[in-house]
Amino acid sequence: MALTDSDNPASFFFKGETGRNTRGLLRLIILCTIAAAAVASRLFSVIRFESIIHEFDPWFNFRATKYLVQHGFYAFWDWFDDRTWHPLGRVTGGTLYPGLMVTSGSIYHLLRFLAMPIDIRNICVLLAPAFSGLTAFATYLFTSEMSESPSAGLLAAVFMGIAPGYISRSVAGSYDNEAIAIFLLVYTFYLWIKAVKVGSIMWGALTALFYGYMVSAWGGYVFITNLLPLHAFVLICMGRYSPRLYVSYTTWYALGTLASMQIPFVGFLPIRSSDHMAALGVFGLIQLVAFTEFVRYQLPTKQFQTLLRASVFLVFGGAFAGLVLLTLSGTIAPWSGRFYSLWDTGYAKIHIPIIASVSEHQPTAWPAFFFDLNMLIWLFPAGVYMCFRSLKDEQVFIVIYAVLASYFAGVMVRLMLTLTPVVCVAAAMALSQILDTFLVASSPEDNSTDTSSSKANGAPSTANGSANANAIKDKLAAAFSPDTLRSTKSPVVGIYSYLSKSLIAGAITAYLLLFVLHCTWVTSNAYSSPSVVLASKLPDGSQHIIDDYREAYYWLRQNTAPTAKVMAWWDYGYQIGGMADRPTLVDNNTWNNTHIATVGKAMSSREEVSYPIMRQHEVDYVLVVFGGLLGYSGDDINKFLWMVRIAEGIWPDEIKERDFFTSRGEYRVDDEATPTMRNSLMYKMSYYNYNALFPAGQATDRVRGSKLPAAGPELSTVEEAFTSENWIIRIYKVKDLDNLGRNHQEAGAFEKGNKRKKAGKRRGPRVLRVE
Amino acid sequence: MQLRLLGLLLGLLAFVSALSAQGGQLLVVLEEQGERSKYSQFWSDLEARGFHLTFRAPKDTSLALFRHGVPAYSHLLLLPTQSKGLGPALAPNLIVDFINAGSNVLLALSAESSVPSAVSSLLLELDISLPPDRNSLVVDHFNYETKQAGDKHDVLLLPSPELAGRKGVKNFFSVDGLIAFPRAVGAVLGNASPLLSSILKAPSTAYTYNPKDEAEGVEDVFATGSQLSLVTAFQARNSARFTVLGSVEALQDTWFDASVQTPGASKATQTSNRAFAEKLTRWTFMESGVLRVGTVQHYLNEGIQKGVTNTTSLGAAVDVNPGIYRIKNDVHYSIELSEWVGDHWAPFTPPQSDAVQVEFSMLSPFQRLDMRPSATTPNSTIFTADFKVPDQHGIFNFFVEYRRPFYTNVEEKRTVTIRHFAHDEWPRSFVITGAYPWISGIWVTVAGWVGFVALWLYSKPAAAKVDLKVGGAAKR
Repeated sequence: MALTDSDNPASFFFKGETGRNTRGLLRLIILCTIAAAAVASRLFSVIRFESIIHEFDPWFNFRATKYLVQHGFYAFWDWFDDRTWHPLGRVTGGTLYPGLMVTSGSIYHLLRFLAMPIDIRNICVLLAPAFSGLTAFATYLFTSEMSESPSAGLLAAVFMGIAPGYISRSVAGSYDNEAIAIFLLVYTFYLWIKAVKVGSIMWGALTALFYGYMVSAWGGYVFITNLLPLHAFVLICMGRYSPRLYVSYTTWYALGTLASMQIPFVGFLPIRSSDHMAALGVFGLIQLVAFTEFVRYQLPTKQFQTLLRASVFLVFGGAFAGLVLLTLSGTIAPWSGRFYSLWDTGYAKIHIPIIASVSEHQPTAWPAFFFDLNMLIWLFPAGVYMCFRSLKDEQVFIVIYAVLASYFAGVMVRLMLTLTPVVCVAAAMALSQILDTFLVASSPEDNSTDTSSSKANGAPSTANGSANANAIKDKLAAAFSPDTLRSTKSPVVGIYSYLSKSLIAGAITAYLLLFVLHCTWVTSNAYSSPSVVLASKLPDGSQHIIDDYREAYYWLRQNTAPTAKVMAWWDYGYQIGGMADRPTLVDNNTWNNTHIATVGKAMSSREEVSYPIMRQHEVDYVLVVFGGLLGYSGDDINKFLWMVRIAEGIWPDEIKERDFFTSRGEYRVDDEATPTMRNSLMYKMSYYNYNALFPAGQATDRVRGSKLPAAGPELSTVEEAFTSENWIIRIYKVKDLDNLGRNHQEAGAFEKGNKRKKAGKRRGPRVLRVE
Repeated sequence: MQLRLLGLLLGLLAFVSALSAQGGQLLVVLEEQGERSKYSQFWSDLEARGFHLTFRAPKDTSLALFRHGVPAYSHLLLLPTQSKGLGPALAPNLIVDFINAGSNVLLALSAESSVPSAVSSLLLELDISLPPDRNSLVVDHFNYETKQAGDKHDVLLLPSPELAGRKGVKNFFSVDGLIAFPRAVGAVLGNASPLLSSILKAPSTAYTYNPKDEAEGVEDVFATGSQLSLVTAFQARNSARFTVLGSVEALQDTWFDASVQTPGASKATQTSNRAFAEKLTRWTFMESGVLRVGTVQHYLNEGIQKGVTNTTSLGAAVDVNPGIYRIKNDVHYSIELSEWVGDHWAPFTPPQSDAVQVEFSMLSPFQRLDMRPSATTPNSTIFTADFKVPDQHGIFNFFVEYRRPFYTNVEEKRTVTIRHFAHDEWPRSFVITGAYPWISGIWVTVAGWVGFVALWLYSKPAAAKVDLKVGGAAKR
């Protein structure tokens, strides 16, 4: 022993108390490195473009954060925003999840307190990467609860750190609720597992605390609200009821529900909405089960026990029937539309076009799973299978989580986000099992003394055990023929051989390297575009930035009155509010379907119909996105059918989707476009004056790939105010009523010098003036 | 900068000297300068009222309605011309721009000279149609002047306009006696435009007739009776005024104080053309029927501000015209209105059976209230209304829209935000009696829990002690 110790001085650090400390320190360093990698891989967008808030929703969060920092917490809590949803306004303080803003606000004030004044924008931009580092740490803790192997946790942490499925929502600048919510989700799960394992009120209360934070941060908290009760319910059904479960569940439910009700937006939903009823039901059930257990403990009679079992199910059935009744009678809010669309993917398309129109609510295409998770997706089932091998309470949780999250991720693209943590955990468990098996395992030792290997006696098998020949083979060979062929003594094939180990280790390393490559590539190419700025490559390979959005928003900011109302499709509402600082009619918070439908109607009707709507809503400017010149496919003409559908949902008599398709059912913008299409305000505003860019008759729409009619559309009630460099954004000013009381068509004709026809011979009875 | 100041000063000077609320620069377009003397009384009347008259022929090269992009004159008087067109300086587009810029036009027509097509197309834009025959005039076999037009019946003698019958209409044109309209062109007004109103309609026995028509009888008349408007007022949305006078001869000296006689009358009377011309030009050139909005105030009518009428009495404590209110707030709204009378601003009193209303609206009015005149100052009347903000948050407008014929438009919009209750503005739970069961429930639960814990701790089995005691007993 002493010899080996002196042989290998490093082993001092790997043994005993110091060894544990060293491993702990190593683990910490590794975790910090993982967190650094997680942060670093999310900085592509900042390096490529600039420190800017991305996409749509983050602009609202950013604006709200600025309001919070500027006006203080209570003003934020009671914030009535009169610059959105004109003229309805939005009770913003009561209709948002404040967790994100409050988090960055606290960081802002903390840094100021530490004499590090940092611009709030930079805090917002970098919040998501910072929290992704924490998520990696939380994943490590969560996985360590699942698996004995210490490598599983580290692997899970690194997977979580760089998996594109999570990066997609947490690159720098993607300042959305998910940025902190995934960390809270994983951490809440970790605390829950800990609580169930230990059965202590403290861990249950901590679970509730983080659950409350989660509720304040993201609407996806409902996932936790249903997953934890489901876990408890499954455990009870498996006959694994224990006082630990009782303590942790009741503590979590009571405190967590109270905590969640403190958020104004949630309010009384936990006791009124159907989405939350499962948690309440399981809470009731667990009381009954506990009571039954108590009684059974007191009176251990078999008949009595069955009687009680029966009564439990009776009560459960009664409670369920009561729930159904209350739902039908309307006391409990019916299931929300988003909930239905989780079960029936076609539901939203028929009933709530506004939900279906959001691209992230579409069902997931199968390549997305590979794209977002790469090799984890095929390690995932193995990991879940391994949970069945040692099916303790926490493994049951992983199984349930895996099943539910897989289903939801298949239904909605955005729920890939909730699937990613469990995939990382399960894959890490599978991979660590493989690695442990192949790297650590040594050949079983031979008891017989006549083994040829000199190192066999007492040498630490873990350190250099791989040198041992295949002992079983040896033994067998020895048993059959004492002096046999040399080749059979130390075979190169077999589980314990260097060859197989290096093969497996090499393959795994290759896979891991490929995974890193894939993650980096996906992050860099797919998820790091701010989508406020479009990047393209010039023929010489240099980057060309198309900055039309900001150009137009700054034009609005600098050239219009501060209270000028801008009408645009709701996608751009938050950006106009954030970048142009102008009131909008509708924005990405799609709470009022009718108001959005009104805008849809104004866009899809003739000018004579649209004008009164715009007057009534005091619209000053109309903004449309047009990609025809550049070939930018995310423009309003491509979204137009959703406007029509949403408007049709409210005014089925006035707007009909069928009218926008040709008789052959095609959606066209060229000569064959239907009159309804060509007279719609959206079409006119998109193609107004577009002909002027081309030689006569050559105007082409590069998105739809079609030639446009020779004569462009005429506008009378609005006039062109601004068109951005690449024509992506076009802004029109709504004209005032004509000073002489004519309608705009007549006024326009007069301006052009067309003389009005004299009232010649009248036909029919004379219309007399009455006064 | 200096030039601008000078311009401002000059404008002020003009304002002081003229009786018009707008300015005294009047452009008279007259084809034959020799005809100027026919209207000498009319000119001298105008000049006596402080107008600065500029005479130009329509095709004069120095004639321009605009100078440096702004109207060069406050008012325009167009007299009929013999030529078919009005020339490039008076194209219909330019006249419309002139009106859109806020200037006023008085257009006089005559059946003697054909109406230029530019003018008739301009009038069509205002929804006023003229007879298609260029020489049509209005005749009346019952209300004609017997002395000079005894055989042609083409000089109408009409009494003063009756406008007071309509709600909210004040008659700015009433004169004593009869007004003569020689060889008038009658116009037909469209039914759609609310901006149009007739000042003087032809009597029910009048009709249009083309004296050059060979046919014996009139088969298809252009219009008859009171559908024919002899004097028409058009007030654009920006309150610019456009008046069409059917007979230019009514302004001539010969008719200003002619002695006339109707067929039924026993003796001759003097015409009141002079008085009518004065009233008509007073109205057209913004000397009457002009309203002005003074101070608009709205503030909370709650707490210490309740019932306050004079906001200066409380000092700076009154938050006047705040941008935001809460739902169910009591608010006070007041608006100061003045009317221009001759040479000064006077308190405005709406006509009988009419009231100035204020709307509190978001998409549609939530409140529409008659305002009461609460106080008058030497120059204005203060109209006020007190009301409760509806239980609906949003962006609302205090909107006073007072549009009446012959008055300039009053359109005053003040936008305010109505917010919801803040978290600390609700009544506390102990104030609500209905909440007592719940509050007591909470405290009973708390007390019960504390009691239970106390009982539990008290009744904890003292296991170790028992052991000790047993041990001790054994020792004993």
